[in-house]
Amino acid sequence: MSGKKAGLVAGAAGVLAGVVGLGVLAMPAGAGPAPVLPKVSAEELVQSVLTTKSMPALAGTVTATNNLGLPSVPGLGQASRFLGNGTTNTQVWTDGKGKGRISLPNSASEETIVYDGTTVWDWTSSNKTVHKETGGPDKAHPDKPSSGEVATDPAQAAKQVIALISKDSTVKVDGTATVAGRSAYEVVLAPKPTERTLLREVRIAVDAETKIPLQLSVLANGNAQPVGQIGFSKLEIGTQDPALFTFTPPADAKVVTGDAEKLAQKKPDAAKNLPQPKLVGTGWDTVLVEKLPAGLLGNGDKTAKTKGGQSFDPSKLLGQLGKRVSGPWGAGYQVSTAVGTALILDDGRVAVGAVPQQVLIDALASVK
Amino acid sequence: MTTTSLVEPGVGAAVAAPALAARTRGLRKTYGSTVAVDQVDLDVPDGAVLGMLGPNGSGKTTTIRMLLGLVQPTAGEVELLGHPMPGGAQITLPHVGALVEGPGFHPFLSGRENLRRIASAEPLMATSAIASSVDEALSRVGLSDAADRRYRGYSLGMKQRLGLASVLLLPRRLVVLDEPTNGLDPAGTREIRRVIAELHAAGTTVLVSSHLLAEIEATCTHVAVLHKGSVVAQGELAELLEAGAPALIVSTPDVELSLDSLRDNGIAARSTEDGLFVELIGTSAPKVVKVLVESGAEVHEVRRRRTGLEELFAQLTEGETQ
Amino acid sequence: MTAAVVARPALDRPVRAPLGRLLVSELRWILRRPRTIIAIVLLSLVPVLIGVGTVIAGNANAGPGGNGPGSLFTILIGNGFVLPVLSLTLLLAMLLPLLGAMSAADALAGESNHGTLRGLLIAPVSRARLLGVKAFGVGTVVFIATAAVALVGLVTGVILVGTDGLITLTGNTLSFGDALARIGLSVVWVTFQVWAVAAIALAVSAFTEHPLVVMAATLAGALVFAILTVIPQLDWMQPYLLTTGWTSLTDVLRDPMPWDGLIDSTLKAACYLLIGLSVAYARLSTKDG
Repeated sequence: MSGKKAGLVAGAAGVLAGVVGLGVLAMPAGAGPAPVLPKVSAEELVQSVLTTKSMPALAGTVTATNNLGLPSVPGLGQASRFLGNGTTNTQVWTDGKGKGRISLPNSASEETIVYDGTTVWDWTSSNKTVHKETGGPDKAHPDKPSSGEVATDPAQAAKQVIALISKDSTVKVDGTATVAGRSAYEVVLAPKPTERTLLREVRIAVDAETKIPLQLSVLANGNAQPVGQIGFSKLEIGTQDPALFTFTPPADAKVVTGDAEKLAQKKPDAAKNLPQPKLVGTGWDTVLVEKLPAGLLGNGDKTAKTKGGQSFDPSKLLGQLGKRVSGPWGAGYQVSTAVGTALILDDGRVAVGAVPQQVLIDALASVK
Repeated sequence: MTTTSLVEPGVGAAVAAPALAARTRGLRKTYGSTVAVDQVDLDVPDGAVLGMLGPNGSGKTTTIRMLLGLVQPTAGEVELLGHPMPGGAQITLPHVGALVEGPGFHPFLSGRENLRRIASAEPLMATSAIASSVDEALSRVGLSDAADRRYRGYSLGMKQRLGLASVLLLPRRLVVLDEPTNGLDPAGTREIRRVIAELHAAGTTVLVSSHLLAEIEATCTHVAVLHKGSVVAQGELAELLEAGAPALIVSTPDVELSLDSLRDNGIAARSTEDGLFVELIGTSAPKVVKVLVESGAEVHEVRRRRTGLEELFAQLTEGETQ
Repeated sequence: MTAAVVARPALDRPVRAPLGRLLVSELRWILRRPRTIIAIVLLSLVPVLIGVGTVIAGNANAGPGGNGPGSLFTILIGNGFVLPVLSLTLLLAMLLPLLGAMSAADALAGESNHGTLRGLLIAPVSRARLLGVKAFGVGTVVFIATAAVALVGLVTGVILVGTDGLITLTGNTLSFGDALARIGLSVVWVTFQVWAVAAIALAVSAFTEHPLVVMAATLAGALVFAILTVIPQLDWMQPYLLTTGWTSLTDVLRDPMPWDGLIDSTLKAACYLLIGLSVAYARLSTKDG
């Protein structure tokens, strides 16, 4: 009897340990207790962030989580993974002196971008092609966290920034958090009650030691989880292997030299060809209003909403993304997400903002 | 019997005289609402060849499986070679060879490979002795020639003999054979009997189960009869065979004449279907025969009635299957 | 008679067969089973088929960058060292787990079916040891199959393409030694993942006498996992599923190698292994022999 019981007990204990282990593994990292850090005012913190002129040498994984609630659109290729709800991981390395490396891993392929100080190499494994361009990294990837473009006097700049923000928002340091295993201050920007916005607050985690921003979260009304979040899920600050910032194209790879055209496609600079947009309102409920030539209707939406997709049929996409709306103000498509709304009217008028529909309609009235 | 002399100091005081190789008390096993074995108090004397006799489904195999610690009893206790089971399995089972529920071997391996595999698992087997032990066991059961053929191609008799060989890999204290002659031809059956006799001569206790009385009679010193999950009789074979009043069965067409002359001589007798039934009370068999011959009756056959065991077993098996 | 009595070993303490002998005996048994050999041979033909197929197809299907497993084929062209990893990736999806399940099915259910499990229990081999020996045997079969696939893949790749080194997904070239180390790591990692599946199969195997039930259960399990993976409403489950971590095998083709996914999946597999073996042990220790 006892042998039988012992077997069952041992078995049950093993199963329990295994299940608990799975639970621990499945738990998101960094959910530890908030670290204890010396008190700091929002102003001081912003100032020290601005003082940090450049990123230290680091290796990390940047995780972007998207809960915008955009309907999924098939056929967008690479772009779809940033648009659809879900999580995207990007690996970044920098030596702190301007050289850098970005890696966008996919399940079975990878895009690697290396800036070795003089040349940007953009390697895509799925077609074994390297794009080589001589020039600064910012040209190729403006989204990359770059440095050195801040006003000369940090203290002054900090005051300006805070003052500017404070017109429509409340700024405060709201406790501390652990991000990617590092202690960080949480800076919270919340709209003042008069702002007619869908957003609730924006939280920025600032590393307590190096003062680099570790995480940015956007929270919307009526949703406890961030609708969008980008930040380090893993961060290791320290000298990096110099070999990471060099690139030698593999023997049989196709190398395209100095071809800016392909790289440009990745950027939303189609907007340059469009009429200058007009901003209506200030602060959180600012609405971007634009009048597009009728033929460009679809592209206007693409510019505003999807950041650099490839070519596709705009009206078809609008039908997939949004719903048909109409009113005394006109008729068109409305695309709604957790953080904002866009109205694209048939007559070419477009309004976009982090606001409910009514605010867009009001703004549209100001453009003829 | 010399059973007590087999007890060694190493066995310990747990075993009281007369020494028992196996002992159960109040053994009970139920599967759901089905009672397979109930209140079995079995004694297997050390050095004995105990036949476990019972019709199919009488609980023989279940009892054996509980003895070997393969099955946990619902209630009751089991002692094997002086150690409680199944707790003492690691102590006792190395000394026990068993063939339960038919031989179990892998069809794609040869007889030799199958035996090697079992020999490797035997705790008391020296690694260096595996090859020679396997050869010896194969030759003891007469399978040397077929040793390298696949088990798949063996006849039923060869399979049974390979099973026996697995028991003979090592000298044992106790050998348990569950229905060893199942599916064997008369020659195979004789082979099994010879092996059992050899084991007995070497001092090994043998527990053999069978649903055939003749097999038990031919090989066993002791017998336990199981019926519907309970032991209905057990003891030395000779005692059980002799139990009950002795009697003669006379086969004769001249029933009246015989009956009269016997009664005239004060011998108790009654008529049966094809002859007479004569009780040997206050008389003897030769005297009965003499009276019958002198009466002039035509006597075809006179035999001693096998009382006790045979009677009992006949009663048990009647109406069971036939 | 007295001589026989004297020759008897003492009956006062537990005795066990040497563990090494049991393990060797188990391997002997497994590797003499025809279907094990056939399965391993068939699996190791897969890299040959992929390699020859890819070379014949040439650049024909090297379109502009899909993201499915097909884009691994692109990098394979002119890059023989990718072949072992690609083969393992494809086999890990279904066939290797099935091999593990088959081995686990034979280990307990099959032995039970042949009546040979009882022979081991009577020998006696304790039930904990029995499970250990079985888990070892299953793990070894999986390892042999995985290593065979990698080896055949490597040889095929080298013959078809040459030994210029491994071009990673990241775009740099690894030395021959580095490439071998990466392939070796893949073999060990894949073995452990499949071993975890086999442990679950071993638990099923402990409950039945029919090896086919184990195979069917494993197939059904694989199917359920695949379905759970694609239902968006159940994506909270994904971190618990063993199979979701399997895509990280391609991480060995990146440089520097991201260890997170590989380690996370290994830990997950360890949990599955523990659960599977625990259930198997609980069942085995209460099972009637």
